[in-house]
Amino acid sequence: MLEIDDLHVAVDGKEILKGITLSVPAGEVHAVMGPNGSGKSTLSYTLAGREGYEVTSGRIFYQGEDLTTLLPEQRAAKGMFLALQYPVEIPGVVTLTFLKTALNAQRRARGESELDAMRVLRLVREKATALKIPEDMLKRPLNAGFSGGEKKRMEMLQMALFEPKLAILDETDSGLDIDALKLVAEGVNALREPERAMLVITHYQRLLSYIVPDRVHVLAAGRIVKSGGADLALELEKSGYEGVVEAA
Amino acid sequence: MTALAFRRDSKPDFVQEDFARHRGSLPGAGLAWLDTRRRAAMDAFAATGIPTRRVEAWKYTDLANALESELEPATPFSGDLDEENAFAASDAHLLLVNGFLHRTRPVDGLDIVDLGALDADAPDWVKESLGLMAAGRDSPLGAASLALMRGGVAVRVREHATLHVDFLTPPHDRGAVSHCRVLLVLEEGVRLSLLETHRGEGVHQTLANIGMELVLKPGARLEHVRLQAEASKALHVTSLGARLEREAEYRALYAALGAQLSRLDVNVQLAAPGAHATLHNVAVLNAGIADVTTVMDHATPHGTSRQLFKSVVGGRGRSVNQGRVVVREGAVKSDSHQLFKALLLSPRAEADAKPELEIFADDVVCGHGTAIGSLDEDALFYLRSRGIAENEAKGLLIRAFLEDAIEGLANEAVHEALWQRIDASLTSLEAGQL
Repeated sequence: MLEIDDLHVAVDGKEILKGITLSVPAGEVHAVMGPNGSGKSTLSYTLAGREGYEVTSGRIFYQGEDLTTLLPEQRAAKGMFLALQYPVEIPGVVTLTFLKTALNAQRRARGESELDAMRVLRLVREKATALKIPEDMLKRPLNAGFSGGEKKRMEMLQMALFEPKLAILDETDSGLDIDALKLVAEGVNALREPERAMLVITHYQRLLSYIVPDRVHVLAAGRIVKSGGADLALELEKSGYEGVVEAA
Repeated sequence: MTALAFRRDSKPDFVQEDFARHRGSLPGAGLAWLDTRRRAAMDAFAATGIPTRRVEAWKYTDLANALESELEPATPFSGDLDEENAFAASDAHLLLVNGFLHRTRPVDGLDIVDLGALDADAPDWVKESLGLMAAGRDSPLGAASLALMRGGVAVRVREHATLHVDFLTPPHDRGAVSHCRVLLVLEEGVRLSLLETHRGEGVHQTLANIGMELVLKPGARLEHVRLQAEASKALHVTSLGARLEREAEYRALYAALGAQLSRLDVNVQLAAPGAHATLHNVAVLNAGIADVTTVMDHATPHGTSRQLFKSVVGGRGRSVNQGRVVVREGAVKSDSHQLFKALLLSPRAEADAKPELEIFADDVVCGHGTAIGSLDEDALFYLRSRGIAENEAKGLLIRAFLEDAIEGLANEAVHEALWQRIDASLTSLEAGQL
């Protein structure tokens, strides 16, 4: 599903990612763990195609296609989804309007018919109920004044609605209390299926107790320094990044 | 450039020459009350002449420099408007063409007087008010619109009503200026919903110079939506004076959507206790200048005012927002707020904002704020990462930026029409420099 090959990325002329090679097959959940400043967010923004994240060498293949020249909206239409660490507040854009606009923009780009307001509403309601998102939140401006937990649940709602083939979750656990964390993890687990791949980017092991990954990769100073099974996350929790990074 | 000729204010300009030549043939000439007011207005105009940047209130908007040539006085339109100009179709109650009242549909509860045909039979309510708010020191064009008034309309509102006044500038074969006035008198306790539209076409420079007076008697309420979208060579100056008596309420939404130069001068007098004014302004432009300059005059206690100005500027457009709030001695418990926000969409776009407070009373609440910036990159990326293409995402964010200035100030039909017009402006922004 996702093949990253010797990826180098610079931001403002400074190299942040220094040769990442990573492969996430369909049906698997991989975790990327790393300390602050290791390049985790750079990796997620680069995968989503944000401007300013310059791929200086290496390539990213998604479903066999080179992604590096595609715009963020093109990547989304092809089934990529990035759940942000800090979802942006957009006062003035009603959440439901945003969801409809985004869903239909993706459908349009794929040559599918647009859904009318009623269909979208029914779809959104169904997904929102599972995530315990109250109806009035959908009528409020997108993320404006939402609590940290509400914002993350809104990200999960979008993921459920867009049904991406590749979901990247950037520090989705940050700022969540244990109940919200469980709710988000349930949302993620419900979407695990053979046709979908997920990349869970996180600092802490905590989330991985609820979303058990198939593989864990340790990112340090712009490189993957170690890869292993789900146990690697527990090892990191015990001995800390320093121990693992030095041993590698 | 010929425009330099107008920069020497010692020399009479074409406005003063027009007055000297035609004062005897203007509508109502010979009526002593009107002659006196016209004369005083021309004196007020002559003190500055056509404003340059040296006139403090015009320092961001150089009208004299924008003029390409001297302008001839516009004449009443004589052809078949609908046939000759597809865009001229209008179902407005009052249609003014080149500043002359062209067509009137009667409205229940309204008295309508054609100011282009003033004579000795002019009703008292016209004589009592016409031109009294015209000669402010910072409003030379407003003064000229009275001195040289050739057409216009006076309306007395006796019952709750809805009124659409449509101003049209059809193409001219040479540069032309129209001087026109509108007087609205709202009787005690009545409500008026006023839609004012300004439209124009043509390749020659035109100057629409309009003076408006709004008189709100005690408890009267005026909801005013103004939509100004004219040709790229249009110059537009409206000088609007509003006088609010006890508990009167004025709620206005102004939209500036196109012209080479548009200037809206607003002077609101909260002239008796408990008066309230809300002024919202929306400007969307990618060329030319849209200038809104207001004076909010809290003259008596317990007056409240709210001002919110939002500009979206692309290309080489420039928005100007100046707002002076005056709280006079004794005007205790005045409550005033003004906020100017501008969104710049291109490196050459410009926004000038200048809030001013002059407070001579204690126990008042006055606030102001200014924010000028570009589109939020984080928000733009967020929307794009959800599949919304760049231009559509920008459109969403721009709409969101404007929304609170528009919400709640127009009925549904007007609201729709306004958004349609703004969307059209946004589309041209997107096609251009966005």
